[in-house]
Amino acid sequence: MRFSYTHHMPYTGIKQAGQDWPVANNQFDPVKGSEMFNKYVEDKIYAEQTGFDWIGCNEHHMSPYGLMPNPNLVGAIVAHRTKTAGILQSGNILPLMNPLRIAEEYAMLDIISGGRLVAGLMRGIPHEYIAYNASPSESYGRMGEATALILKCWTETEPFGWEGEFYQYRAVSIWPKPIQNPVPILMSATSPFSSELAAKHHAIAGILALTSMEDGRKHIENFKVNARKFGWEPTPLHINIGMNCCIAPTYEEAKTILQAGQEYFFGVLGGGIRTAQKLVVQKTRYYHDQEVAKAQAQKFVNMRSGAGGMSFDERVEAGLMICGTPEMAIDQITNAYKELGMGRLGMTIKVGNVADEHVTRTQDYLRDIVFPAVRHLGEPEDPAAAQAAE
Amino acid sequence: MSFTEKTASLSKGSVKYHVGGEGRPILYLHSGGGIRVTQPVLDLAENHTVFMMVTPGFDGTDYLDGVDTMEGMAELAKEFIDSEIGEKCDLIGYSFGGWVACWLAVLHGDLVDQIILQAPAGFRGKDAPGLPTDPAEFVKVMYAHPEKIPSEDKPEDVLKHNREAMGHYHSGAPMDNALVARLGEIENLVLVVHGTEDGAIPKESMQLLKSKLNRSHLVYVYDAAHGLEIDQPERVSLLVNDFLARGEGFLVNWGDEAAGFEAVSKA
Repeated sequence: MRFSYTHHMPYTGIKQAGQDWPVANNQFDPVKGSEMFNKYVEDKIYAEQTGFDWIGCNEHHMSPYGLMPNPNLVGAIVAHRTKTAGILQSGNILPLMNPLRIAEEYAMLDIISGGRLVAGLMRGIPHEYIAYNASPSESYGRMGEATALILKCWTETEPFGWEGEFYQYRAVSIWPKPIQNPVPILMSATSPFSSELAAKHHAIAGILALTSMEDGRKHIENFKVNARKFGWEPTPLHINIGMNCCIAPTYEEAKTILQAGQEYFFGVLGGGIRTAQKLVVQKTRYYHDQEVAKAQAQKFVNMRSGAGGMSFDERVEAGLMICGTPEMAIDQITNAYKELGMGRLGMTIKVGNVADEHVTRTQDYLRDIVFPAVRHLGEPEDPAAAQAAE
Repeated sequence: MSFTEKTASLSKGSVKYHVGGEGRPILYLHSGGGIRVTQPVLDLAENHTVFMMVTPGFDGTDYLDGVDTMEGMAELAKEFIDSEIGEKCDLIGYSFGGWVACWLAVLHGDLVDQIILQAPAGFRGKDAPGLPTDPAEFVKVMYAHPEKIPSEDKPEDVLKHNREAMGHYHSGAPMDNALVARLGEIENLVLVVHGTEDGAIPKESMQLLKSKLNRSHLVYVYDAAHGLEIDQPERVSLLVNDFLARGEGFLVNWGDEAAGFEAVSKA
């Protein structure tokens, strides 16, 4: 099992729940913000020492829940300060940006890190489209085309031009080019479109917000079906599941910490973006299919309370979070592997306003007790296959 | 815009061609599918006189004695330019026609000005997969959007005969090494166009071509397979017309003026 460390870098200095979109930034204290930011960067770097295989940065706009509108800036710091961990950018939001810029900045990260980039190519969550005044209805088309263009930027051996629906360039030859060829890519695989696109490009499938085991199994199966359509068979290392994680000496303590953090995340930090998401999902063609739109709208609810409105304990019982003692965490990861067969697990430990010392403590438990007990899960028996998967 | 069918009397025999449009002359050398007046060809004819020469043996015509190699076809095209066009012209070669166009540029580059090679054949590596023989699979590798194939398309037996006619001109070797060795002699400005979903000609062929041609640009048309003009007619038209109108200047974003080939034709 390979582990990635996800840290949204939230701004935890606001108190009021249920704020509208956009959350007013007069609540942002730059001095506090600077302290938090630098602490968070250190947390990310510490993740390498605690045995995480990848360190994640992700892009979100105009929201206190993430202070990384440009994750590549943070990724560059992490790349420079670490030695072995993969630099997971999960990821740049393709439809909002100039694809060439993404290709260039990702190539820079690969060069800075000595070939450790894991390139997340994402469509983003709905509110980003309001933030950047981009058409949600074009998001699918732009996503597909930008993905193809970025991969061309990295792999073409000669200068080339591009005549597409959304992007036109007459001469492209980026400098630098990435070290890795191919660059490993991570893409979301939780909608029919995203699953097919990820399969087409041999991506690692990201199921970044697990809302039920049944849902997870369905997404993984869809991804495998799509991959076979494109002539390849995913291994466990092509499946990346995301979960919240908190480990403490007792279940009660871990629960108290994580539950409060989730309440803060969804109630305070997530208030504004939910309003925006409703507008985008209900009023545009962000999702082509109404059934998918309904399912995705429900997903936002499920992320908070699990499918069917579960209690915190029920969600832990259902395997949707890693929460409890280190021994419980070992069982939970083992069970998740048995249920889903994934070879990668992304963990968000700084959930909402979980205290930084609790974040560090969880990292230490993982390093000392949990990771050694579950590393073998989902690993290819053939070392060459493991190497190839990297 | 209508095209007229005519016959040229050349030294080796008669050659059919279709001509249409008005403006600077351009010779269009067709693919293995034979002559097809697609939307991009019609758009081209808005400001060019387009000469579409039928390769002997294609579209129900007879082969000509002594014309049975790619170089021989290039010589025939040279004579066609001299006889029917009568002045220096631009040149488009598509797939099989792109292969002929390269030989024409090598042997008689002084007769042509700018060249557009649309997914040209003749440069496939030895490991490149061959074309499927099953008609349904064949359509899949040829078109990203088979639903756009016009209903008035040629009957399958004509298309089959056309495909077989290609074998009259070359041995079937995927790579024309003699031509590759001489690509550096081409001094014309060349645009190479390739579809991102082309299942017939691999991108490595285009990269090889780009690396050998002295003055060339390679542009990928997104969401198009080998049948570029059918899959993405607007993108092909815009690109081709902008290149023909501006030459090297097509690299520059001309703002509204370059928003489409219509703007170019009105200029």
